[in-house]
Amino acid sequence: MSWVNILFAMAPENILLAGIIVLIGLEVAEADERSALAVSLIVLVSACFVATWLAMNGYAFDAFPGHYSVDGSTSLAKAIVLALAVPVVLISRDETEQRQFHILLAASLYGICLLLSADSFITLFLGLELMSLPVYALVLLAFRRPESAEAALKYLVLGGTATATLLMGVSLLYGGSGSLALVAFGDALRSTDTMARVAVVMIVVAFYLKAAVVPFHAWAPDAYEAAAIPVTAYMASIIKAGVLFGAVRLFGAANVTGPVVNLVALLPLLSIVWGNLAAMRQHSFRRMIAYSSIAHAGYLFYAFLGDAGGRFQAVAFYAVAYGTMNLLAFVSLPAQGDDAARDRLENLSGLYQRNPFAAVMIAIAMLSLAGIPPFPGFVAKFLIFKNVMAAGFTLYAVLGLIASYMGIYFYLRAIQYLFMSPEAPVTRRGSPHPLVLAAMLLCLMLVVPLGIFPGWFIARM
Amino acid sequence: MADAVLLNVVLYLPLLGTAALLAVPSRREDAVRQVSLAVMLVQFAITAWLYWRFDPAAGLQFETRIPWIPGWGVNYQIGLDGYNLLLVLLTAFLGPLVVAGSFTAIRKDTKLFYAMVFLVQFAMLGAFVAQDLFLFYLFWEAMMIPMFFIIGIWGGERRIYATLKFVLYTAFGSILMLAAVIYLVYSLYASAGVASFAFADLYRVRLPLPVQTLLLAAFGLSFAIKVPIVPLHTWLPDAHVEAPTAGSVILAGVLLKMGTYGFMKLGFPLFPDATQLLAPVISTLAVVSIIYGACLALVQTDIKKIIAYSSISHLGFVMLGLVSLELIGIQGAVIQMVSHGLVAAGLFLLVGMIYERCHTRDLAAYGGLAAVMPVYSVFVALLTLAAIGLPTTSGFTGEFLVLLGAFTAAWPQYERGVAYPLVVSASAVAGVVLGALYMLSFAQRFLFGAVKAPHQPLRDIDFREKIILASLVVVVFALGIFPAEPMRKTELAAREFQQLVLTSRAETRVADVRGSPGPQRAPVADSASKPTIVPR
Repeated sequence: MSWVNILFAMAPENILLAGIIVLIGLEVAEADERSALAVSLIVLVSACFVATWLAMNGYAFDAFPGHYSVDGSTSLAKAIVLALAVPVVLISRDETEQRQFHILLAASLYGICLLLSADSFITLFLGLELMSLPVYALVLLAFRRPESAEAALKYLVLGGTATATLLMGVSLLYGGSGSLALVAFGDALRSTDTMARVAVVMIVVAFYLKAAVVPFHAWAPDAYEAAAIPVTAYMASIIKAGVLFGAVRLFGAANVTGPVVNLVALLPLLSIVWGNLAAMRQHSFRRMIAYSSIAHAGYLFYAFLGDAGGRFQAVAFYAVAYGTMNLLAFVSLPAQGDDAARDRLENLSGLYQRNPFAAVMIAIAMLSLAGIPPFPGFVAKFLIFKNVMAAGFTLYAVLGLIASYMGIYFYLRAIQYLFMSPEAPVTRRGSPHPLVLAAMLLCLMLVVPLGIFPGWFIARM
Repeated sequence: MADAVLLNVVLYLPLLGTAALLAVPSRREDAVRQVSLAVMLVQFAITAWLYWRFDPAAGLQFETRIPWIPGWGVNYQIGLDGYNLLLVLLTAFLGPLVVAGSFTAIRKDTKLFYAMVFLVQFAMLGAFVAQDLFLFYLFWEAMMIPMFFIIGIWGGERRIYATLKFVLYTAFGSILMLAAVIYLVYSLYASAGVASFAFADLYRVRLPLPVQTLLLAAFGLSFAIKVPIVPLHTWLPDAHVEAPTAGSVILAGVLLKMGTYGFMKLGFPLFPDATQLLAPVISTLAVVSIIYGACLALVQTDIKKIIAYSSISHLGFVMLGLVSLELIGIQGAVIQMVSHGLVAAGLFLLVGMIYERCHTRDLAAYGGLAAVMPVYSVFVALLTLAAIGLPTTSGFTGEFLVLLGAFTAAWPQYERGVAYPLVVSASAVAGVVLGALYMLSFAQRFLFGAVKAPHQPLRDIDFREKIILASLVVVVFALGIFPAEPMRKTELAAREFQQLVLTSRAETRVADVRGSPGPQRAPVADSASKPTIVPR
């Protein structure tokens, strides 16, 4: 029965969809906020479980031929994204607009899942937009303060630009090749035709905008700072992973050669340099992470220089490692009197004295983001640069590594606040909520094995 | 087999110690100290047993090899050989002394402090015993983090500056080394079709001379920063001066040897042709380090800085011995590494003891301590003499052998009748004389003359401090009087090192890193290829 297979192949999406309907029902019924949280958690965990099951069995099915297909690696990518969303939900308890938050989150995740299975530009476009639209609202949702509105608007306008660029690129591609299949992009990469080249540039730029690669990064610091912590965590780890998985889907089996190399190498390189430099000057934790995420978007796009065969593995491992360590940092961020105080780096001073566990967790996250072994950030970075060098781009690899060195300083500066500065005045004390603690342990349980037994994960990606 | 397990026990004991500390409540600081000391003592005992069991006729032994990241050819591979044997023993020996030496000095966040000492101990031992480049790099980088905390939390006034400088210097070297590591492994893969990070496999990579030179520069920069070789030394005085005593002891005792060990185990043997080409440059830099370090030590007024700069000078001898490529010079370098580890550790402990009593490191504030602290002064005098390299101390053995090696060094460039080695060696001898000058003038101002000290009356060192210093002095003299025993155990490694560096592995054709692996090339049939050893 074909439609059973279709339902089965789309099981993670279907579970999310069912969840969204239930959550909307709860919203209409003005049910208890905790029930929304519980529903959201159950939906995410079961969707993630199903996706993992599909991935482990290597289930492959062309649900809508030419538009939507599922295979082992697609399901694995979905499982990764859904698993990363679990800690985000766990720490969302303090957010005011509980139910709406969960609806929008699930909708955005549905978009990512769609994006990861896309075979045609139509599905890809649907996925990208469904992923982004709820996030504009999520940024705004947090505090309803003027800065949030400004940041959300900025994000919306730049996101709209990305959409327009993508559509323009796709039309050009269609004009040249007469095809809307993603494979056409791979052909266009090799083509010497001007129109095809312009199309490639526009499509890649659209992805750069979504992933915040310099010089298309300006929305990120504002949006990250204006959003509530769970939303920032969601943008920094999951949206980024989704966009990159989408790009892997887009590039497919095509190797990057010829003049496109510069497009795929220079802007990410610039992104690493600028992200790391600008992060040094930040006093807001979220802005710092925003610039760090700009740098990390650079590393991630470096993966596209490598051989197409190893690309999914590199991006998947990086997404898991990077997502986990970002989430670890965000979930460990101690609660303060108000959000602005919580966000100030200086207010982390002497955190070790009053909350050693959280301080150690943030330190681990920072060291991992800096790519210092034995934390997973190192293996992730190693995997990407290994592939780049194996593809023969030695110079780009060396430059990228040197640029990554510049990042070490500001991560260490955060640790310096945590451990080596006198204690800052605190407005709110007390141990974190059990759910937050659960999120911390969940992230830690991922970070440690990722760092110590990377081989186990790599072999399964 | 059992010994291979014991080597793993030695490696993981510090981690176990950290876990044990987590179980001890922070309030019970004495319990924290006792647990730490006990773990360190057990570790030293096991290491001493392994040293005793070490077979000088065999190469790599007590080997453990488990696939770790199979897809990349990364193995968890550790073992003892003549290269790392003495350094592992030195690390394990200094462990208990570092812990015992901090009993009274560290009063803040005691538990975190000993946890960090354990972590740095773990990383240093790991880097020494690793026989796989990936594993080595992991430990090499990881040791930076606990050191960052040790200097940054328990350091002096400018500790943040010093610790950031330390990390940023070392991390810069490591980044370039990482690029070189990846390139090297891919060259092996491209030429032989083997994906492997094992040292033994990498010793067979053939590379064209320009590539070798670049890679040696990348590895060498990283190692030279750690050694440190002038002009990359500027982090060292800051780190030493600001670090707590334990930090200085770890830095001077073991961490600096990491750089020279890196040159000996990786830098030179991996790129033999580049090493021979650059030997004059490296030896010149070594001699510049010897003399420049000594000159700087001569004019310091801060006691810790005197010892810090003397470290630069003494490690210059190690580099000179290694690059002489003479068996006797290489063996001298190994002895000098251990000797400097002991002597500098002892001197830093001595400075720490007087600092705890008087809270100043300014040499001008002291004088005539021999009259008020006789036992302490005896130890100062003994270790000063060892630092100068007086016969019967370990310093003499090391420096003498290194100079012998340097005088007889036969670098290909000099066979054309250049008197360069003579000049280099003669300058190194001048370094010895300068060494005597600054150490003796330090001892003279510190110990003799009118009694002068900021916090009188001074109590002499207590039983704990006597034990620490006495054990160091005993080993210093043992190494000076009976150097043959450790040299017998490291001779094979020294010969292997010499063979590896003197056998050319230059490739005329540039290996095509990109694309499929090239034709299978037979391994170089030289006696230097490492013997494969089955774990005993």
